[in-house]
Amino acid sequence: MMQRFNTELSRQQEWSWLLAIWLSMGGSGSGLFLLYLILDLPHAFGLLALGTVLLGGTVLLIELGNPLRVWRTVYRPGTSWLSRGVLFVSFFLFTGILSLVPSIGEASWLSSDSGTAVGLHWIAGLCALMITLYPGFFLSANRAIPFWNTRLLPPLFLGFSLLGGSGLVLLFSALLETGPSKILILAAVLIVVNLVMVFVYFLSKGRSNAPARESVRLLIGLPLGWVFWVGVVAVGMVLPLIAVISLPSTATAAGAAILLGGLLFRYCILKAAVFVPPALVAGGQDFSKLNRNSNDLEREYAGIAAGGTGGGR
Amino acid sequence: MDGSAGSVLDGAIKWGVAVDLKRCTGCQACTIACKSENGTPPGVFWTRVLEKEEGTYPFAYKVFMPLRCNHCADPPCVPVCPTGASYQRENDNLVLVDQDKCIGCHSCVVACPYQVRFIPGNARGYYGKHKTPYEDVSYRGWQVGTAQKCTLCVHRIDEGLEPACVETCPTKTLVFGDLNDPDSEISELVRQRENFQPRAELGTDPCVFYLT
Repeated sequence: MMQRFNTELSRQQEWSWLLAIWLSMGGSGSGLFLLYLILDLPHAFGLLALGTVLLGGTVLLIELGNPLRVWRTVYRPGTSWLSRGVLFVSFFLFTGILSLVPSIGEASWLSSDSGTAVGLHWIAGLCALMITLYPGFFLSANRAIPFWNTRLLPPLFLGFSLLGGSGLVLLFSALLETGPSKILILAAVLIVVNLVMVFVYFLSKGRSNAPARESVRLLIGLPLGWVFWVGVVAVGMVLPLIAVISLPSTATAAGAAILLGGLLFRYCILKAAVFVPPALVAGGQDFSKLNRNSNDLEREYAGIAAGGTGGGR
Repeated sequence: MDGSAGSVLDGAIKWGVAVDLKRCTGCQACTIACKSENGTPPGVFWTRVLEKEEGTYPFAYKVFMPLRCNHCADPPCVPVCPTGASYQRENDNLVLVDQDKCIGCHSCVVACPYQVRFIPGNARGYYGKHKTPYEDVSYRGWQVGTAQKCTLCVHRIDEGLEPACVETCPTKTLVFGDLNDPDSEISELVRQRENFQPRAELGTDPCVFYLT
């Protein structure tokens, strides 16, 4: 990581595609699990949700500098959203797999309509809800990056997770027993809601401080404008919206486009993050007094040469 | 040295650095002293001096701002750490990293408003794959893929010495000491001189004071 010696606004360079893939797969998978519970979808979608989160979590491991120490991440749930996130994912996978055992094969100790199975289902559902929300809480707690530091992020991540979940259902709509009509309506509603939330988010940040405004500028202009306008808005939202409203036969393609848009949305949110600048460019600082003439300097250094510490102080 | 290991007040030491912006010439001696003392890899600077142009021609001039970990009283990098690898010492305010616990998740690097945490991706030296004998020894102090940062030369402080950057500064821009000791030079400077804490509005309570 090369450090900068100037005072320009700088973007975070630590997180990129790998974290975006996790946020996208974790969000879409957990969103799908919520839809599976609420809409009583076939068990195959429950399994698909678990598999998606598991695969996303594996990608996240590659992001870590020391993945073999990942077990240590459960030590600080009291303060760290990352630690909480790992616990949510672990509980989700554990209870989700247990709750879906009866749907895979005979399990004498657990029948699908038993209270235990239903309880496990809803515990897994609660964990899935938290997986959709925790990235928003995690990023919004960051005081160094004003673009993230907002209460709008958790609902935005929830909205995109549910949209990603509906995208997965559309992508695998062949598995549905009754056709995708319900999901098509849901996807259309979620796309519109997410578009409104993104608009409100950008509007609020565009009127915020300089780093937040710079983040919005990066997203709607260059260098991220192409990814945002073409990838997130056009491919990920507008085209799927047209498809689900007027061309239901293209549901599978619409699902794939929604998922691609969701991935690019996370990438944009991560890459547009601009740090607060160093205090040297803070407003209200008068540095003109630091501009000393040679007489001042001579007096000051004479004091230093004499061994005193108070020459210029 | 003001505020050496014995200057305990109210049972706690609050190490801090006062940076006299009127004295800094941007010579980067502190930058080099830190690299020499701590053996950090290429591209990583636990301390560095930022430059900014002020005014307009013909009255343009440069101002310099030495930057390092502020060892904040309320460090945003510590609570985000999921493993407890980032911690604040109990007997003072030094913010340190236990590299054996760090998983390299980058949370602390992104949480720091001062951008003074680093995760080296490799252990290459300044001359490529082949490290110099000095790099060979000094690189044993940190691990690839884990967070590292200014320790305020904790190894020197614990022996009653000043941090290398403070000792090196030729213009006495940097003053190190115990902010909890009202008689220390740093406390007097902070009382007497106009100063600001960097990005204090973020609620981090940094222990570096810039004198203007």
